[in-house]
Amino acid sequence: MGDWTVHIVDDDAAVRDSLAFMLAAAGFAVRTYPNGSEFLSVARSLRHSCLLTDLRMPDMSGVELIRRLKAADAALPAIVITGHGDVPMAVEAMKVGASDFIEKPFDDAVLLEAIARATGERNAPAGDGGIADDIVARLDTLTPREVEVFEAVVGGLPNKTIAHALDISPRTVEVHRANVMTKMQARNLPELVRLALAAGYDITSPVRNPINR
Amino acid sequence: MVGGQGVSSSKPFRSFWLAGRHRPLYGLMVAIASVLTVFLLRYALSDVFDDGALFLFFTPTILLAAMFGGIGPGLAAVGLSLIMVMVLEQLVLSREIGLLDFIAFLSVGIAIAWLGEAFLRASIASTTSAEALEEREAQLRTILETAFDAAVVINAEGVIISFNPAAERQFGYRLDEVLGRNVKCLMPEPYHSDHDHYLRRFLETGERRIIGTDRIVVGQKKDGSTFPMKLAVGETKTESWHYFTGFIRDLTEREESAARLEQAHGELARLSRLNEMGEMASMLAHELNQPLAATINYVQGCRILLRDIDNPNAERARAAMDEASRQALRAGDIIRHLREYVVRGGTQKFPESMHTLIEGAAGLALLGSRDQGVRTEFRYMASHDTVIADRVQIQQVLINLMRNALDAMRDTTRRELIVTTRNDGDMRNIVVDVADTGTGIAPETIERLFQPFVTTKSNGIGIGLSISRRIIGIHSGTISVFNNQDGGATFRFILPTLQQMGDSDG
Ligand SMILES: Nc1ncnc2c1ncn2[C@@H]1O[C@H](COP(=O)(O)OP(=O)(O)O)[C@@H](O)[C@H]1O
Ligand SMILES: [Mg+2]
Repeated sequence: MGDWTVHIVDDDAAVRDSLAFMLAAAGFAVRTYPNGSEFLSVARSLRHSCLLTDLRMPDMSGVELIRRLKAADAALPAIVITGHGDVPMAVEAMKVGASDFIEKPFDDAVLLEAIARATGERNAPAGDGGIADDIVARLDTLTPREVEVFEAVVGGLPNKTIAHALDISPRTVEVHRANVMTKMQARNLPELVRLALAAGYDITSPVRNPINR
Repeated sequence: MVGGQGVSSSKPFRSFWLAGRHRPLYGLMVAIASVLTVFLLRYALSDVFDDGALFLFFTPTILLAAMFGGIGPGLAAVGLSLIMVMVLEQLVLSREIGLLDFIAFLSVGIAIAWLGEAFLRASIASTTSAEALEEREAQLRTILETAFDAAVVINAEGVIISFNPAAERQFGYRLDEVLGRNVKCLMPEPYHSDHDHYLRRFLETGERRIIGTDRIVVGQKKDGSTFPMKLAVGETKTESWHYFTGFIRDLTEREESAARLEQAHGELARLSRLNEMGEMASMLAHELNQPLAATINYVQGCRILLRDIDNPNAERARAAMDEASRQALRAGDIIRHLREYVVRGGTQKFPESMHTLIEGAAGLALLGSRDQGVRTEFRYMASHDTVIADRVQIQQVLINLMRNALDAMRDTTRRELIVTTRNDGDMRNIVVDVADTGTGIAPETIERLFQPFVTTKSNGIGIGLSISRRIIGIHSGTISVFNNQDGGATFRFILPTLQQMGDSDG
């Protein structure tokens, strides 16, 4: 992994520097940028690089940054970092091309694995061509209720809101959610989102949820 | 007001009669006119009467003059009569009148004048008191009819002879249902049976149990239900009348409504606090997450650095760092749970009247503002004020805006808070303005005002406006602020009305 450079974009200096410190300790070459524009200006010339960006930033959001990189033909593997309750935004980021998202604060192992997957040093569990059929097969095993829950979960809704929208108890949502994860063979939410995207699922928030940003 | 002309203007004769200032003048005119009339009459009839009935003719004029004008005109009539008698003596009499006759007439005349005066006084006294009585009764009736408290008047037998509208409301009886009935019907047992006994004993011995003091007793409504009431009884006694008047205040009515009001306030306060807490938690989660994430990154970076060092101390430091990052992650979990706990499972939107929401919020936000010298005004110009809204959330916005306005006017001399509503866009929107005459907003902060944790107050948290913006956003509206030309700031939010919602649904 030594020949990969991780580019960190975050408006919060403490988060940016601490990430740089940790990734440098783990053996990566690291560059930091306080905002998206600065990274955009250097992005085209980069080789063997991976982007780690915050989602919420004042001038340009992480989603916007990834979109512009794509437009500038400078797309690179990207991981987005989110705060609490930002899952819908993270899903949005994955739709425009981010390979993963991580909820802050996180364990270093989670981040390192995400980077490894993004840089292709480790096989992604899903996403390649032939696998789509396999995912559709997994989707077929879900009950109608589980499909509803699946759609809501990858739409980024919290359990409480799903329960409210489907008029079932939060406890029942948890049970359905666990079943979905098992049947879809996903270990965590980003993986489930990836599977949904790989299956060609058009993730639009199925329940218009006003309280979540 | 007794005897005043204004009061008795509907009775012109009496007002003339009682016109005290002019009374002697009128009396004098009466005296002159009547004496002259009698003189002419007697002169014309001199053939019939010959020498007789001379003084007798004039006595009525004295009484008349005195009755109209009192003793003065009465005496004037006596004097005039004497002169006329003397004239007649010259003109028609065949004999001279004896001195004794003159003296007799004079003394009888004076007596008659005095009698007339006495009659006048008595008559004035009786008229004025009759009028005053009538007036006082009218006043009393108005007071009783408009009184908040029930008033029940009974006679010495305990029979109801008056029952005001408040009593009708409190007891549920119509006036005609209780008039003439014993007051016992308004009391449950044991008062019901004991009342006759109480009344009789009071009339016999004068022993007071309740008269003149306030007491809390139990009343009974027409439907049989009972309620605690405060009772004060007054006594009215004359030669011919003996009344008791009971003033009754239904304690449940007032206390219940006060309690209900308090409860409603309490509920709104609680909900808005909860909502605010949720926002706080969510914002804290966001703000605390940053340093927390940084801490964990540093700790984990250190652990990686120590990974390959073969040294017992390095081994212990690694273990400590593992623990440190675990604890920091746990803090992150706590914040996450807190947030999930307070975030409600979706907003509860119903059709609500904006004007009602404003009043409810004002009741809470403006408590005690009058004491601060703040004048408030509500101008409801919107004819369509129904919005699809979460009541608590919109009231939270209104409370935030009104409280901010009060805060901004703390040190200004002019203190006016004006809330205006109007429709725009063909009734599809309602525009709510909360305007104050406070400090206004500095140009450099106006941009950041709606961001969390922006405050200029020593005790402020700076989340009120950011919450408000989020709530208005959830309701598909917009919120903005501008400084007023003549000082102070106006916060304006615009929400779609039911009209517009109906359109987009259909
Ligand atoms: N009506 C107003 N007039 C002047 N300044 C205001 C007004 N309302 C809000 N502000 C400014 O906006 C800041 C943020 O308001 P807010 O978000 O409600 O937080 P807080 O009231 O806790 O300070 C206030 O500290 C104040 O400086
Ligand atoms: Mg405030």
